[in-house]
Amino acid sequence: MRFNFRPQNHWRFKRFRYRTEVLRCANCGTVNVTTRPVCRRCRSRNLQREELPERGRLVAFTTVKSPTEEHKELAPYIVGLVEFEDGTRIVTQITDADPEDLKTGMIVERVLRKITHDGDAGIIIYGFKFRPPIT
Amino acid sequence: MARIRNVAILGYGGYVPRLRIKATEIARIWGREEDALPVREKSVNELDEDAITMAVEAAKYAMRRAGIDPSEIGAVNVGSESHPYAVKPSGTVVAEALGIPPNFLAADLEFACKAGTESLQMISGLVSAGIIKAGLAIGADTAQGRPGDALEFTAAAGAAALVVGRPGNGEVASIEYARSYVTDTPDFWRRAHERYPSHTFRFTGEPAYFHHTLSAVKGLLEEAGLKVADVDYFIFHQPNYKFPLAAAKVLQIPKEKVEQGVVTHLIGNTYAASSLMGLVRVLDVARPGQLIVLTSFGSGAGSDSFLIETKEGLPEKRAKAPLLDALISRAKYVDYATYLRHRDKIRGA
Amino acid sequence: MRSVHVVGVGYTRVGEHWGDSLTELMAEASLAAIEDAGVERVDGIYVASTFCEVTNNQAGISALVAEALGLRSVYGVRVEGGESSGLMALMEAYAAVASGLVDFALVVGGEKLSDLLPDEFNSVHSMTLPYDSMGYAGVTPASIAALLYKTYLERYEVPQEFVAQFPVLMHNNAEGVSHAQFPFKVKLEDVLGSPEVAPPLRRLECSAPCDGAAAVVLASDDSQTRRLSGQAVRIGGISIRTDYVSPFDREDPLFMTSVALSVDEALLRSGISRSELNVLEVHDSFSILAPLILESGGFSSRSESGPDVKSGKYSLGGELPINTFGGLKARGHPIGATALYQVAEVYLQLTGRAGKKQVDRTKAGAIISVSGFGTIAGTAVMLSGEMG
Repeated sequence: MRFNFRPQNHWRFKRFRYRTEVLRCANCGTVNVTTRPVCRRCRSRNLQREELPERGRLVAFTTVKSPTEEHKELAPYIVGLVEFEDGTRIVTQITDADPEDLKTGMIVERVLRKITHDGDAGIIIYGFKFRPPIT
Repeated sequence: MARIRNVAILGYGGYVPRLRIKATEIARIWGREEDALPVREKSVNELDEDAITMAVEAAKYAMRRAGIDPSEIGAVNVGSESHPYAVKPSGTVVAEALGIPPNFLAADLEFACKAGTESLQMISGLVSAGIIKAGLAIGADTAQGRPGDALEFTAAAGAAALVVGRPGNGEVASIEYARSYVTDTPDFWRRAHERYPSHTFRFTGEPAYFHHTLSAVKGLLEEAGLKVADVDYFIFHQPNYKFPLAAAKVLQIPKEKVEQGVVTHLIGNTYAASSLMGLVRVLDVARPGQLIVLTSFGSGAGSDSFLIETKEGLPEKRAKAPLLDALISRAKYVDYATYLRHRDKIRGA
Repeated sequence: MRSVHVVGVGYTRVGEHWGDSLTELMAEASLAAIEDAGVERVDGIYVASTFCEVTNNQAGISALVAEALGLRSVYGVRVEGGESSGLMALMEAYAAVASGLVDFALVVGGEKLSDLLPDEFNSVHSMTLPYDSMGYAGVTPASIAALLYKTYLERYEVPQEFVAQFPVLMHNNAEGVSHAQFPFKVKLEDVLGSPEVAPPLRRLECSAPCDGAAAVVLASDDSQTRRLSGQAVRIGGISIRTDYVSPFDREDPLFMTSVALSVDEALLRSGISRSELNVLEVHDSFSILAPLILESGGFSSRSESGPDVKSGKYSLGGELPINTFGGLKARGHPIGATALYQVAEVYLQLTGRAGKKQVDRTKAGAIISVSGFGTIAGTAVMLSGEMG
């Protein structure tokens, strides 16, 4: 809980959290989300940094009405499953939308948002969310 | 300050959050007369938005329009009076979110509503001097207004960004002249650790907004050897709907040269983004070869004025990102209580 | 390897134990199990508590349990494996007894969650998800359950009742159970009318925060304790498997490979087949987990667990009764203790001590314990004296 606000533990994941930078296995193509030495599928060490596309498809979504301590100021908020062209799926918050604005199968786009903050004095944690695209 | 050489706007972008509150809703709570309201409605940030996240959104559009690789950005300047941290830069988060590699100059600026055009000045200088190839000039704010204060009707949320670099590759516009006019005029301020600004009511008008704005514009036109008739669009800082039109009237600028660059009645005063937001809306419609005079105003007080000429690349670049009116039109209205929650005005929750 | 038997069980009521500390709860359950087993000594203590650092600021808790039991100098270890901690502790103790390292092992699980505020509980519960890619962003276990639930309903084109009837079955089974957190019936309309937690998931489809501790005593074949009296139940086989931490990284998020593999392996090690099981405990932390486990474990065909519940297959008196004392939903889910409640309840069934919940002619039972959504899953097969 309080430990979650150690800045270091967010800083070291910033490439994923700010830009959805992941590790794609050059051997088998699997996307590994958090950093690691070998591919989770084929154990190859040949992992290459890559940004996931800015747009994906919303496969399923729900509304979190019973939030965690760190995210209660935002509740109720939407959590969705987003799938990219290559089949990679991530679970993410969906922002700038009410449930009635969303449809399964719709395109959503990545944005940077505040994820949470440690009171008035502690750090602000930023990270990606997805939202209905602005065209 | 005078003639600017070899500086172009390569891309531009504006961002407005989707939430709005109507001025009549604020008036309902505080018992104000509806016919004397300074704007129709204003933008309100989502709970997960602040000056940094909005700066990223505007900058992303600007970079998309510029078609520039993040590694070519040599400086990121973020002007705001609502930087999320008192100490810890905004520009670092913005740059990393945009994938800009570490060899860049980051500077956060603050000069009330003028910090956005300061960013533009400084990036222009770095480009003109050949120190950087290109840079990002950003104005972004989630502006504060004390509950019940007149500012609460206008203090809004938004961001605008320009990618500024060398001309010669299908640029959006060129920056031809720049002129600033600054004095010590205490019309509006916010002390350290205070949540809301203080202001001086009518003193913010004639000796502050109008004196500095008009002085900067007149100086710029004189320097460039131009008359009002030579210029296609005038854009002013817009703390409300009246002031930019009143400034135009003094300068005998026809209304149609001003109105395109006024958005304050629709989204309120986005502070450091305000005049740049007007520029974004003008670039959304302007034709190549038109002249624009952009003039900011920041309390404290001062104005930066720029002469900008649109170029052939504008229509093609414009089409690469959403128009500002598309962002403005996705309005969703909130009531005053929701607005208070979103602006973190309910303390102790 | 020596064969290993459960020779006694003990547990507290699941619920709010305001006056008792975590150590006291575990000591109470342990003393009851030791007394039930009638053993003179314990050579090793295996403690399962998933969140004791966070909820009770306690590390090295096995020594505290040993001291509370008056067992100075005994070997003690704590095992943590998310919501499967209890089963993991059982497997470690099983291995030690089978190898001859330990003759009498006490396995005790305990958790104290009632002290947490609801949002604090959600933060703690979210630790069972991958924090660095999900938990930090406010993704909760209930939201993952909801996404799987929606996927299930849409793929199989079945109504919500197919899933929502599982809590009804659990509450039916828990009615009158003295150690259950919620020993009363609920109707389907109560479930579907309860507040939304993460739509379509509703409050009465989620296990609730609680306190509780459960313990079992293991003994080797050589010790013979209680074996002749029919109060020993042999552990036929245990298997625990892991999987990708996000269900959406798997080929099919509705299929828990860890469940499938551990069920197959535990049965293989036991030398019995699925159809020989008379009673089964499944990890219904959320309603949707029951069908996913039953279908992944090969007890129902894909999409058929709903109709199987309706037909009575899983009811008391059915072909394979599940969660005969109410499962995680109604007996309760004191995380680290849960699998040991499951073991204790199957033990009661196999020794004919299940009272009103007794299933006839039970010879073989199994428990399936899951952490998260199949990140870790394990199965233990238990055999009565007749089959042992």
